[in-house]
Amino acid sequence: MTKRDRNLLWIFFGFVTPGMVIYLLIVAYPIFYSVWLSLTDFNPNSGGSWNFVGFSNYAIMFRDPFFWHALKNNMIVIAVSALGQIPIGFILAFILYRKMVKAEGFFQAMVFLPQFLSTIVIGLLWKRMFTANGPVARLIQLFSGNPDAQFTMMLDSSTVMIPIGFALIWIYTGFYMIIFLANLQKIDTNLIEAAKIDGASEPQIFTKIIVPMLAGTILVSTILAIAGSLKGFDLIFSMTTQGLQRNNAMVLPIFMYQTAFQDYSNPLRFAYGAAISNTIVVISMALILFSNWVSRKLSPQGVE
Amino acid sequence: MNPVSVVGERHNPAVAVIGKIISYLVFIGWALLTILPLFWLGYSSLKSNEELTRDIYAFPRDLFDNAEDEYRVITADLNTILDYDPVEDPRERIIVESTSIAPGRRLMVHFLVKEEMPPEIQALEVGDTLRVSQLPSDWQRRISRKTRWFNYTSAWTRAGMTTKFLNSVLYAGGSTFLIIFFGMMMSFAVSKLPFRRLSAVVLGVVGIGYLLSINSVIIPLFLMLTGVGLTDTHLGIMLVYIAFGFPMALLLGSQFMRGLPSSLLESATIDGASYFQAFWRIIMPMTTPVVITVSIISGLGIWNEFLLVLVFASSEATKSLPVGVYSFSSLTGTQLGWQLAALVIATIPVVTIYLLYSKQLTKGVVAGAVKG
Repeated sequence: MTKRDRNLLWIFFGFVTPGMVIYLLIVAYPIFYSVWLSLTDFNPNSGGSWNFVGFSNYAIMFRDPFFWHALKNNMIVIAVSALGQIPIGFILAFILYRKMVKAEGFFQAMVFLPQFLSTIVIGLLWKRMFTANGPVARLIQLFSGNPDAQFTMMLDSSTVMIPIGFALIWIYTGFYMIIFLANLQKIDTNLIEAAKIDGASEPQIFTKIIVPMLAGTILVSTILAIAGSLKGFDLIFSMTTQGLQRNNAMVLPIFMYQTAFQDYSNPLRFAYGAAISNTIVVISMALILFSNWVSRKLSPQGVE
Repeated sequence: MNPVSVVGERHNPAVAVIGKIISYLVFIGWALLTILPLFWLGYSSLKSNEELTRDIYAFPRDLFDNAEDEYRVITADLNTILDYDPVEDPRERIIVESTSIAPGRRLMVHFLVKEEMPPEIQALEVGDTLRVSQLPSDWQRRISRKTRWFNYTSAWTRAGMTTKFLNSVLYAGGSTFLIIFFGMMMSFAVSKLPFRRLSAVVLGVVGIGYLLSINSVIIPLFLMLTGVGLTDTHLGIMLVYIAFGFPMALLLGSQFMRGLPSSLLESATIDGASYFQAFWRIIMPMTTPVVITVSIISGLGIWNEFLLVLVFASSEATKSLPVGVYSFSSLTGTQLGWQLAALVIATIPVVTIYLLYSKQLTKGVVAGAVKG
């Protein structure tokens, strides 16, 4: 190694070190810490004494009915994202792309706007809209003619995910619309013109040309939707009131939060909470790999 | 034109018209669905609690039409919040409370300076009532203004919005600046210095961060930073934001810098500039598009982030706007009108920026999401 090379190496480290130190301490180290924590009985109530307990925290989790309930709700959130936000966003993008509406800039801005608002603010707003005798209930009263009608979906554990799913679509559809629109604009327009000349209708253009060409974008969106849905905390947290209602609508991140930061008397709270967090990460990676695999199976040439 | 296209044109018009109508219905409906709740929020934030219970859709009236409001003289007790400093300004006050807006709860209270009042008002006893129109005109104006903005001033002061607002600006602005600064330094090193393998290691290690979010390691972060006393501090919170901002900054930054010609750097270093000077004066100005994209995504993400501050901030001094608004709205004593005003206060800056720069913001989000 020449002197110049050695100098250059020092320069390299000079540029990389400040960022890497922060990154390794705050992002990389906690990954191992979290794995370690989940395998111990770390007890914050007795000064942090701990023993290795193997996978017993995970075993507790798999027996915990709250875990399965939260997982089920998470799957609903994923379904709403993958089967609601993405297709609707795609169709909206297609309408804009084919210039079927005027004032597209305005419409695009309106669908995309909720994306920029704080999810907490949106959650509190929709919580207010969906209260038993709030604005939505008032609309129901006006249309049904029954002055005593109330909006009770938020109060019942079997229906609470419906208004939440609605709010999820309201917020995130615009995001997928913008992504699809950006990728649609990359498509060669000659292809579509040629199809039109051959007599293809708009729905045919959509299903026969556009969808196959955007298979890659659909996959990326699905992955974003899965990852986002699994870690999503803010919306459901702010749309529900602590206690029974939040427990009804509980998803895994909220389950983790309540376990680790609100269940003060539980000596296993951090260890158990870490087991839940790690499970969320593992599930999301598994689902991402799975959707990748599915898309490879569906399109033989693979997705680039 | 060939015959096929004629056939196509012939059956198309009706279908096309229906398609257009459906398209418009969908988009107009969606636009209304976005605008109406926000519009409702906006005007409802100017209504008193009593009005909100009476009719959830009516336009605001009570707080505006206040010239004939009735007030009752009360004595100061523990839960009246003075709007003046009795040490600085010891003049005697007549304390009056509204009989129509939050009556009896000591929320809508004015402190009339006794010496500025006409004799008939000076003579009032505790329990007596008066109307705003009986007061001197400058007091009428002052009370009218206070009444109109009742929800906003109450939300702002009672939720301690000044601190929270500044905290949010610091978190979003300060962290984004350092994400850009250190992130672009790393990008420069891995894309412009001749160390392939080291660069690949750095990119790989930082790339793992893409798979994680703050939520996934919040428990170890809390334990670690509590151990060194950084949890309830601005520095601790910003460190986490900065670290989690690096993966995207490094990925987008190094991708972009690789495309810049290396000759720039060579000619600069031959002219005697240090590598840092070359980075700062030559490379950085050329990376503006990436800097804008990364700033938009990081800044917006941090501005709206919730869980980290919820867990870390145990005192009011470090809470951000979303956490402040959330905890304010879950206090039992908070009036509904104040909650709505707090939501508007948190929404206005973002909506204003969005309406001004919607094109750039949209592009930034797309660039970040697609490449990420």
